Amino acid sequence: MSAAREAVALPVLFLTVALLGGVSPGPPVAFVPPPLFALVLAVLLMAVLFRSGVLIPARLVDGSRSALANANGVVVIVTLYAATAQAFHLLTPSSGLPLLLFDGFLLVLLINTFVTSPDRVELLRSLMVIFGSGFVLKFIILASLSDPAGGRLKRALLLLVEGATLGTLTQEPMPPSVGYIAFFTLLLFLVGVWALPAAPPRHHSRAMTRS
Amino acid sequence: MRERIVRAGGLVVVVAYAATIAWVYARQPQTMAQVSGGLAAGLGAYHIDEASFVDGLRFFRRDQFMEARAAFDRADPAQRDAATQFYISYTYYREGWGHLYDDRRLFARGLEAVDRAIALAPKGRLVVDDPDLQMHSADELKAELQRGVQRDLSPLRVFRSRK
Repeated sequence: MSAAREAVALPVLFLTVALLGGVSPGPPVAFVPPPLFALVLAVLLMAVLFRSGVLIPARLVDGSRSALANANGVVVIVTLYAATAQAFHLLTPSSGLPLLLFDGFLLVLLINTFVTSPDRVELLRSLMVIFGSGFVLKFIILASLSDPAGGRLKRALLLLVEGATLGTLTQEPMPPSVGYIAFFTLLLFLVGVWALPAAPPRHHSRAMTRS
Repeated sequence: MRERIVRAGGLVVVVAYAATIAWVYARQPQTMAQVSGGLAAGLGAYHIDEASFVDGLRFFRRDQFMEARAAFDRADPAQRDAATQFYISYTYYREGWGHLYDDRRLFARGLEAVDRAIALAPKGRLVVDDPDLQMHSADELKAELQRGVQRDLSPLRVFRSRK
């Protein structure tokens, strides 16, 4: 991995995710830190990334590297953790039954992924599916359910849904910009994870062993 | 050598960016003016617009409080100057003050402004040397605003005078 990618591109990208993940455009504008459960989910995802070879700490922090390079490596790991926590925060609904369901679903999904230990490519695909479906559920389906605008039929259906779920399903209406910011943020996060240094190719070591 | 420069420069950029994000989350700025003003204040480079401040003072002394607030807001868009925030709070006090009752909504906004002024003042101590005012310290102004926010049913309040 190039020094520029490790020292500048990846940390800046992850910090941008950490910044945008908590933005609530309002009004009033608010910057919301991740809840405790998002921190737990982020730890789990870091473990999954490590186990699947997406995150290889030895490529970032190692005795053979200079102190400066190790500092850059530590920054990448710390900013990745912050970005992961904010990505989960962004993905989960703000309140009610959907929050409980999403958190439970993500917890089980991550534990399951950890146990099955997919390889790098499989995990990246899996992350795309998790974040993509989470985005669609929260910012398209739930947002549409919680949108107060609409015709009589929609309002009647919403009233039925509200009654059936004791008012725990619908969320606070979101400004339209929220979805666009979330899409951009999650895309940045996935690009950052994909750009993490991969394991070095093995054929060199095999060739050396043979010789 | 080039790699070391890139790594060191990257570290500096990232630490500065992270500090900015931490500041944004801690201070919760509402406008870009507050963001840029807050960052400039952090570097000691923030200055209020003196002309607007003088306009604000002129309006304030003529009891044109809404105009005064508009001018003070223009002078200190980032809300980073303790004295300007003190005067903004004072406009809310004078506008909201009444012989029979105080306007609690205005007093509450005045409290927010004086709290900002106290937070910005060194060690929380703010004294404004203005002969036109009867309360010179942020502590007095805050206490007066707090008294106004609380319900006072005493008939003697009609004999009070505006400070």
